[in-house]
Amino acid sequence: MRALPQNRPARSGSAPAAPAPSSPRRARSVRQVGRPGGAWALPALLYFGMFAALPMVLVAYLSLTSWGGLGSPRFVGLENWSRLAGDPVMHNAVWLSLVLTVLNWIVQTPIALLLGVWAAGPQRNRAVLSAIFFLPLLLSSAAIAIIWRAMLDPNFGPLAWLGPRLGLGSVDVLGGSTSAFAAIVFVTAWQFIPLHMLLYQGGARQIPASLYEAARIDGAGMLSSFWHITLPQLRHTITTSSVLMVVGSLTYFDTVLILTGGGPGTDTTIVPFLMYRAGFRSWELGYASAIAFTLVVVATVIALLLVRFTGFGTMRSTREGM
Amino acid sequence: MSTTTTRPRGTASAVRPRRSWPNGSRRRPNLLAGAGSLLWLAVVGVPLYALLVATFQRSENYTSEGPLAPPSDPTLDNYATAIENGLLGFVLNTAVVTLAVVAIVVALSATAGYAVVRSRTRWTHGVFRAFLLGLAIPSQAVIIPVYLIIVEMGLYDSLTAIVLPTAAFALPVCMLILVGSMRDISEELYEAMALDGAGSVRTFLQLVVPLSRPGLSTVAVYSALQAWNGFLFPLILTQSHDKRLITMGLFEFQGEYRVDVPGLLTAVVLSTVPLFIVYLVARRSLVAGLMGVGGK
Amino acid sequence: MTTPRVAAAGASVLALLTATACGGGGGGAAADEDMHVWMYQDTLVVVQEAAVERFNEESDVQAVIDEVPGDNYEERLRTAMGSSEQPDVFFNWGAGSIQPYVEQDMLMPLDDLLAEDTELADAFIPSILEAGEVDGVQYGIPLRGTQPVILFYNEAVFEDVGVEPPQTWEDILDLVDAFDEAGVTPFALAGADPWTEQMWLQYLVDRIGGPEVFQRIHEGDMEGWRDPAVLEAAETVRDLVERGAFGDAYASVSYTEGGASTLLSEGRAAMHLMGSWEYSTHLDQDRDFAEDDLGYTVFPPVPGGEGDPANVVGNPTNFFSVTADTAHPDQAQEFLRYTSQEEYVADMVANGEVPTTTNAEEAVADSPNPEFATFQYEMVRDAPHFQLSWDQALPPETATPMVTEIESLFNGQSTPEQFVDALAAL
Repeated sequence: MRALPQNRPARSGSAPAAPAPSSPRRARSVRQVGRPGGAWALPALLYFGMFAALPMVLVAYLSLTSWGGLGSPRFVGLENWSRLAGDPVMHNAVWLSLVLTVLNWIVQTPIALLLGVWAAGPQRNRAVLSAIFFLPLLLSSAAIAIIWRAMLDPNFGPLAWLGPRLGLGSVDVLGGSTSAFAAIVFVTAWQFIPLHMLLYQGGARQIPASLYEAARIDGAGMLSSFWHITLPQLRHTITTSSVLMVVGSLTYFDTVLILTGGGPGTDTTIVPFLMYRAGFRSWELGYASAIAFTLVVVATVIALLLVRFTGFGTMRSTREGM
Repeated sequence: MSTTTTRPRGTASAVRPRRSWPNGSRRRPNLLAGAGSLLWLAVVGVPLYALLVATFQRSENYTSEGPLAPPSDPTLDNYATAIENGLLGFVLNTAVVTLAVVAIVVALSATAGYAVVRSRTRWTHGVFRAFLLGLAIPSQAVIIPVYLIIVEMGLYDSLTAIVLPTAAFALPVCMLILVGSMRDISEELYEAMALDGAGSVRTFLQLVVPLSRPGLSTVAVYSALQAWNGFLFPLILTQSHDKRLITMGLFEFQGEYRVDVPGLLTAVVLSTVPLFIVYLVARRSLVAGLMGVGGK
Repeated sequence: MTTPRVAAAGASVLALLTATACGGGGGGAAADEDMHVWMYQDTLVVVQEAAVERFNEESDVQAVIDEVPGDNYEERLRTAMGSSEQPDVFFNWGAGSIQPYVEQDMLMPLDDLLAEDTELADAFIPSILEAGEVDGVQYGIPLRGTQPVILFYNEAVFEDVGVEPPQTWEDILDLVDAFDEAGVTPFALAGADPWTEQMWLQYLVDRIGGPEVFQRIHEGDMEGWRDPAVLEAAETVRDLVERGAFGDAYASVSYTEGGASTLLSEGRAAMHLMGSWEYSTHLDQDRDFAEDDLGYTVFPPVPGGEGDPANVVGNPTNFFSVTADTAHPDQAQEFLRYTSQEEYVADMVANGEVPTTTNAEEAVADSPNPEFATFQYEMVRDAPHFQLSWDQALPPETATPMVTEIESLFNGQSTPEQFVDALAAL
């Protein structure tokens, strides 16, 4: 468990409350020298403002307009928002996004955690296997979606060969509502578990061996050690990984576009895909902006909640107990 | 606990020497974990194997011979076709975009991180908070205004159009990583620099940058992957063939290759080669960098 | 990664970045020199490529074809039209598909061109040329052949199973059973591209209720979807699906990637309802099949239907339009004249198209398959009504969700009643 507490925004930048090791008087004079001015942050701030913050403000404004991508946006007040509130496709998309987020977490976290803890251990072959497990990280989302689209093609992919041999006939995974959704969960797990596994592997390596030795002397078994030492010690890694996972679940746009195109019907149309469809297929960019702004708000709220309730705050005590 | 005087328990490096692990002292190997990892090996390995085999397969034999059998009549034609179709140009474009994004992100996040950690100016607090709020915002959500801004700047259909927003959206995570890394630098070292009469620029170059190396390499890896994976920005902000990135190229090959699954998969494999080489050369940094995304 | 390396990389990359930025600007300048012609990417582009070659020999401004993948064509076009990187000349579907650009005064009216060059004006069948008008002003010149939707079939499969091509709706239902028993998918259907499913619905609504049904919807009355003919058509679709007419793996089959066509040519499916370009696709992908085994017939009448069985759905043709801000207005108009030239028409015919020029009847004699070309020509000539594809006729904000609803109907995610309700609510 390394410097996570330092990441807390509340601690940013301020002079430490704790006493500096040197005498106060000398420290004060020295502290004035070599300090960067606020100007050091300006380039990043301006840049971020221009290409990230300004767009977020603009998206809020555009959500109040009607705009087809040509000419100028026309102000229409809350029209898009009232339509959004009553749009069954949007309701469904929100529901699907929620389900996808929860399923992703349920599927990816245990597997990544177990694999990561295992990979941090000293087993033989571990290095070789870890190297193989890393490989999906070298592929882009688009590449992975294309691979799986090909692998799942009912007529021209491996399934066309496998299906009849298993007595299943034509297997149209991406054509069924449930199976297409399951395919997205599986493909994103395949893509992202390696990353989270690495995070857990890094986290597990930080756990002092002395804790386990003490537990062993107390007669704790493997399961008990895992439960009482590994899991609590990994709690911050779990938080970080979960935040990444949850926020990531809101962004699986390319996977959906390539793998299912939001279909069959609208059964895999999650919110980012719906935004894309409304914006760049229907050319209702004002309406799409309302969807986009919803996405911004939801993402922010989720991230804030996770950070607040899963304990960046409790972290310090854990460390101090060590 | 003080953020500046206490060195965190972990060293600054994300990859630490392998340490003794309780399982190591057990005589009995963990069969369950072993079995689980083998299962995952199958989940990861079998598709990758099928992917590789397919690239040597002739498309007319693909469905009849099955996905796992080695091709009865192996061929390199698929690779030749993919290269003929301009794949290398797409890779080059992607490399340019990736390097540009990394350069911008490293430069901006390092300077801003330094200010956040060391500056006495009040509003640097606010700066950091603003960046943290950006952590959760999916870049997809702002594609519409970004399109508008890029068009207004006259940058539509240029690689710059992809670089600018991609780098901006990598900044929050990179700031978080770097600020964490820079906080690990102890107060004494800063004081020593100050006693030496070093100004902020010298302190930054001689102390902060060298000591936040692991953070910087994590930032580089993270932003490079963001750029390499980019999909929506290139999809909306560019259109012409000579500005095509590899993700777009693959997406469009889907239409061009029609039912030639081996041909398409070959393009996918070829598109991965540059990253694979980086992986072979700098595996440690890459792995450490990615671990750093979570740890810092 | 060591720090000097990072720093060095940073420095070199900043240099690169500057180069890239310049490259972006440079691209714009180059665009001014060349005349960019946007084409929907498919196997027929060879015709336009040949035309560009001829054009470039004569012209000091060089024309360049930008092939845009079909799936994303309209999206790319509109994002480019919203920017300063507009094409000079671009492929489109006429009427509804260019309406938004006309509203923003982004297209060049071509009335003067036609008035000046009466040879060009008289070269095309008037009713087809008309589909390139918006509000009575000509904005498009036909660039392709007619594209009626035809019922294609694999003659070899029909022979193997010992059945005849369908003449009536009962035939269709009998054939579905016969092919199911023989283990062949009766109809190839590209469910991943729901505009192909739309073809079924277009024909069914027309056969059952006549062209007036969609006419009402086209005029903006969404209650028109509640016409009993739409419900009956939707029920017929469900009936076909449940009988296994499309097999059980159609939902993820793609057309633009060639899936459905390959199923037909490989004999894994017996029939395929598709636009006439299907013939050219096979000619390009599997010439032997196109020449020996590709059969074709009209969509049969539906019992009790009010529509004329001679009616046709599909795309009358595709058009070239010129952007108002083009740097090469004269050259662009000159290029449009190439679409009526003898060589151009001959190229179309050689690639299996039936031109929309007035001399098409004689020209099709040179087709690689004169019989098919004549069939198609007469089918269009004798049709009392040629219904433009719904998704091209309606504005995109209605067409996009409509196509998704059609997909849901075919997939059984909505009932015919829900389908009608959803469309009426658009």
